[in-house]
Amino acid sequence: MKGSRRGTIEKAPGIGDFRQAGAQPAAGWTTHEKDERLVPTHCCFCGVQCGMYLRVSTDGRVFGVEPRDHDINKMKLCPKGVTAYQQVNHPDRLTQPLMRSQRGEPLRPVSWDEALDRVVSEIRRIQETYGHDAFGVYSGSSMTTEKTYLVGKFARVALGTANVDYNGRLCMVSAGAGNKKAFNVDRAANPWSDMLLTDVILVAGANVAECFPVMTQYFWAARDRGAKLITVDPRETALARTADIHVGLRPGTDAAFFNGVLHVIERDGLIDERFIAERTVGWDEVRDVVADYTPERAGNICGLDPALIEKVARMWGEADKAMAFHARGIEHHIQGVGNVLTVIDLVLATGQIGAPGKGYGTITGQGNGQGGREHGQKCDQLPGQRSIDDPEARSYVAQVWGIDESELPQKGLTAVEIIHAAEAGDVKGLIGLCNNPLVSMPKGNRIRRGYDALEFHCQLDFFLSETAERADVVLPTTAWAEDEGVTTNAEGRIVKHNKATEPPEGVRTDWWVICEIARRLGRHADKFSFDSPRAIFEELRVASKGGFADYHGVTYERIEETGGIFWPCPSEDHPGTPRLFEDRFFHPDGKARFTAVKWIPPAEEPDEEFPMRLTTGRTVAHYLSGNQTRRIGALVEQAPRPWVEIHPSLGFANGDPVKVVTRRGEVTYPALVVSTIRPDTAFVPYHWASPAAANDLTVDDLDPTSKIPEFKVCACRLEQGAEVTVVPLPPVEPGKTPYSDEMGSTDDRRPPTAPQGRGTAR
Amino acid sequence: MMNRTLFIDPGRCIGCQACVAACRECDSHRGRTMIHLDYVDEGNSAAAMPTVCMHCEDPVAPCAQVCPADAIPVGPDGIVHTAAKERCIGCENCVHACPFGVPKLDLTEMLQYKCDMCYDRTSRGLSTMCATVCPTGAIFYGSYEELLADRPHSRASDLFGFSDSLVQTGCAMVVPAGRESVSVPGGYV
Amino acid sequence: MKRRARPQGWLSDVDPTASAIGSTAAVLLTAAIYAGSRGLRNFDAALIGYATATIFLAFGVTYRYVVWVQSPPTRRYLVKGWKAFLSWRNFRRFPTLVPKAVVSNLAFQTFIKERGMGRWAAHQALFWGVVGATLITFPLTFGWIHFRSAAGTESHYEMYIFGIKTVTFDALSWLGWLTFRGLDITAVLVIAGCAYFLWRRFRDREAMTGQHLAHDLMPLIALVAISVTGLLLTFSSALLKGRYYDFLALLHMGTVVLTLVFIPFGKFFHVIQRPASIGVQIYKRTSLEDKGPFHCKRCGAAFETQTYVEDLEETMSELGLGFEGWAEHCPRCKRVERGIAYRAHVKEGF
Repeated sequence: MKGSRRGTIEKAPGIGDFRQAGAQPAAGWTTHEKDERLVPTHCCFCGVQCGMYLRVSTDGRVFGVEPRDHDINKMKLCPKGVTAYQQVNHPDRLTQPLMRSQRGEPLRPVSWDEALDRVVSEIRRIQETYGHDAFGVYSGSSMTTEKTYLVGKFARVALGTANVDYNGRLCMVSAGAGNKKAFNVDRAANPWSDMLLTDVILVAGANVAECFPVMTQYFWAARDRGAKLITVDPRETALARTADIHVGLRPGTDAAFFNGVLHVIERDGLIDERFIAERTVGWDEVRDVVADYTPERAGNICGLDPALIEKVARMWGEADKAMAFHARGIEHHIQGVGNVLTVIDLVLATGQIGAPGKGYGTITGQGNGQGGREHGQKCDQLPGQRSIDDPEARSYVAQVWGIDESELPQKGLTAVEIIHAAEAGDVKGLIGLCNNPLVSMPKGNRIRRGYDALEFHCQLDFFLSETAERADVVLPTTAWAEDEGVTTNAEGRIVKHNKATEPPEGVRTDWWVICEIARRLGRHADKFSFDSPRAIFEELRVASKGGFADYHGVTYERIEETGGIFWPCPSEDHPGTPRLFEDRFFHPDGKARFTAVKWIPPAEEPDEEFPMRLTTGRTVAHYLSGNQTRRIGALVEQAPRPWVEIHPSLGFANGDPVKVVTRRGEVTYPALVVSTIRPDTAFVPYHWASPAAANDLTVDDLDPTSKIPEFKVCACRLEQGAEVTVVPLPPVEPGKTPYSDEMGSTDDRRPPTAPQGRGTAR
Repeated sequence: MMNRTLFIDPGRCIGCQACVAACRECDSHRGRTMIHLDYVDEGNSAAAMPTVCMHCEDPVAPCAQVCPADAIPVGPDGIVHTAAKERCIGCENCVHACPFGVPKLDLTEMLQYKCDMCYDRTSRGLSTMCATVCPTGAIFYGSYEELLADRPHSRASDLFGFSDSLVQTGCAMVVPAGRESVSVPGGYV
Repeated sequence: MKRRARPQGWLSDVDPTASAIGSTAAVLLTAAIYAGSRGLRNFDAALIGYATATIFLAFGVTYRYVVWVQSPPTRRYLVKGWKAFLSWRNFRRFPTLVPKAVVSNLAFQTFIKERGMGRWAAHQALFWGVVGATLITFPLTFGWIHFRSAAGTESHYEMYIFGIKTVTFDALSWLGWLTFRGLDITAVLVIAGCAYFLWRRFRDREAMTGQHLAHDLMPLIALVAISVTGLLLTFSSALLKGRYYDFLALLHMGTVVLTLVFIPFGKFFHVIQRPASIGVQIYKRTSLEDKGPFHCKRCGAAFETQTYVEDLEETMSELGLGFEGWAEHCPRCKRVERGIAYRAHVKEGF
């Protein structure tokens, strides 16, 4: 039954409209299924990877969701998780390959053969004309580990290109680089259940309540047991609202803050000298650097009261057990790796790692952000989190893949660099999958120029994204419920997504498409004869064996039996490793590395012309570039459009059209005026497309090590605008009416009630 | 307070609206959300509060008392049900008499809907949809003993003050230890 | 002190007023039957069971109705609704309001369409089936209408209303066919509607939540039983040359009598209640013109009419609820105020 507001009976006055119109799932509701199957699986969205059951009708249709008591989430779900199933039968789904013969022409449906032949002939032409590396692959981390493994293998073996990278480069890669440097392994050190054993939790740059809502229960459970909470964020988020200490620092000053905290801890003798001596290397240099970061100086840089820094230092330093978490807030900076290392320095100096209730971890953002970066789709890594520079790793992986080591390309360009290289004419062709850089990459205009300069661009997706819309060939692939495979959540726990339904007619799995292109290309075609995700996983287990992220002992069956296995898990009788570093760190000498970090200002500092700082982030109703969530009625209703969040002292009224101007562009947003943000900072959520895209405003300076863009701070100016910039509807293939049109709320001009969206009406 | 019931703790709420989305998944009213999620200090805080039907026990179900069509049944278990579809005439009395602001009305359907504590689930021993998914425990379903075991520093109150009168409810609100004997203010005090 | 909710549709204590008015209604109907059938001359003795049940029905429905309208909220709407309806001024201001509402709410029930097309179609079939059957059978059982074959013809019949000869028609014509097959047509409509609703009651979890055998399934089963036994009568006379007719007639009468007696107590009472929605609509619409909208005391948004809020507050105070003032705030403001108070006086955060 599909409700509507088309009633025409003569209405008496009263309160009528309660939220329901926009909240209808596109495929309608079913309440009369005779029998249903509950298929256990996990959410397709963030790195928490909540367990859930999909409700499947007798004729194999996914029609609902039921909570699942999985170890990770204990039945809890966020609004994205609850509505995730609505993607499966969505009318906007792509169901046939689309192609255009040249740019400017509309996309038209073609057969799989025609589309794949075109892809293959373009790859051949470009690689023959410009060299192997002129054809790149840009992948993503919201798909199963099997697929991400296959992408890396495909690029190196079938294409022979060095230029393969993935969208984790826009996500947590600074944390990965920092962890690698300090611990020689890139994984959160503890399971979240350790939070129940700790006394102090510090969260830096993570809007947990909105980006990982289900993780909040661990924080609350810890606090029920008496733990204290410290939050570090320029905005007083829903988690920060109740924190024991909230540090509302200036965006882009995290390293100075953590150096300041460590300064006080060192000054007051709260460091763990024994731990430092026995288990770490490099403390002296750090001590010398933090000596310069007195609370006064750090407070001055961060725009904080020095007393607050002292307070945080005392709470952390005096804690028996403490845990630190961080996310994109400190990672999306040109000093992203440095910021991460200052947190790690703090953890190491106080010995708060490698024991129950003592720990540290980044909160990975994407569904398979962890698994997706472990098995070789990063430009600098091979399966098992092995470095592509390591001769031993190269020869092992080459042997597993059955190729000569010399055929294995070296390190290639990173994500944003690939698109910039396209703009410069160095990369001529690209296969993109599981990403939407036209919304998600910084400085949107330049990214659009890069894509436009490509001679050939093929994109795989299950909805026509803003990026796919501009491609030469679009290949329709499966949604998460239509295929199986493993993912690894933010804790490092490997879980399995199960297949709940058959894909729509005309849709293929991503792995089939990749294998088919490889087969048609002919180069090592026999290395891509996989017939199932399981076959890929079996090879992955071998390829990761002996690496850092060792999956060798993990099987589909063991995952089903246990509810998830933490890597490293070298053999089938190994229980997995929930807590890392209890005995040793992953460096050859077993010790962790301190790194002294001097704070450097962001790439673009405010000046007279652009006096404010602009920061970007997520809102709870949407996920990444919004290609999925902007099509789900309930989520669109909760957050139909972006806004600019500003402090009341700036003189704008709530709902005013406020033009946000940077050196890259300008967008007019409705103002959400809140006293929970710093007066010198404006916030815009980034899930929407140009001309309303936050990334039309951001800078594209990169961290020199991790190559992560500085999404979290740039300089901007606010002006009274005239008209709020209208949000474009999510693209659909030519001839289709977008479902979002029916929802009718995309032309909404109002700001939300709160950062979390619009409250229920009346 | 009922034996197994809902406990609301706005202090834990992060305003994510998982409850709102989950409420729509209930088969008895698919596509309509019965729960309310309000941002209670707009502009000053990210604070939010979910509102479910409190299933008033004394006076029993004011919404049912003001219903001119006897459309709102009160079960022997104390559950105040959503309006009987054939009876409700869409007059809105329940909407405005409810001191908690719970019932909703769809004028085009001439029909009231209200939270019935997920009767299709709780009558079969399951937890309500909202409490099951609530990522923070701001909505908790269970017995008072279970709540206390989980949250040693919390208590609950089922007494609300509106003007000069007190309303005792089947659901309860979480209060700090030591405050459980005083009524929870129903509005400005 | 715990106040009990008003009884939900069951006769808990005998109400003298209602008994008196109910008895009067039964007596009046008896008198009308007597008069309309010309002193029982046109009364078909075989139908006495139906007539008796209908007299009981008149008592029961009236009794229940009187009890119903005595409650403060109902009485207030009844009085205000009728006042608004009978006002000449209102009629001049909104000449189309009542006819439109009657057509859309009572005849075509467009509001059900908003709940689902299937439900609307099924309810319409059920509704028109029952209405048709009632219009045909009640006058027949009361002896208000009867037919005689016209003298000297084979297939022509004369129709008498209140004993007065009206039209003569050919039973073989389409009009004649319709007249004699009317009940078969209504039976088919009723069965179709009931079949849909029974399907829903057994399959649709929306309908199944909190459903009761007596309240939700029995009415449908009763209607199907009446319709099927009625059709069997036709089957018997048309194809079995009247075999089993007497037994089937008795069976049919049994189902009808039981259903009629059941009406005041169960789900069917909504047929009597539904017209009240028209009264509410007129009342709200006209009171909006008279005293204007009511604005929320906190946010200032108009949410109801001035008169409505005053009346509701009176109703609430009659019921002794004690928080009438709360009705002056829109529902959202009530919740937000409670949230603010909780933050200020109970606890601010975690």
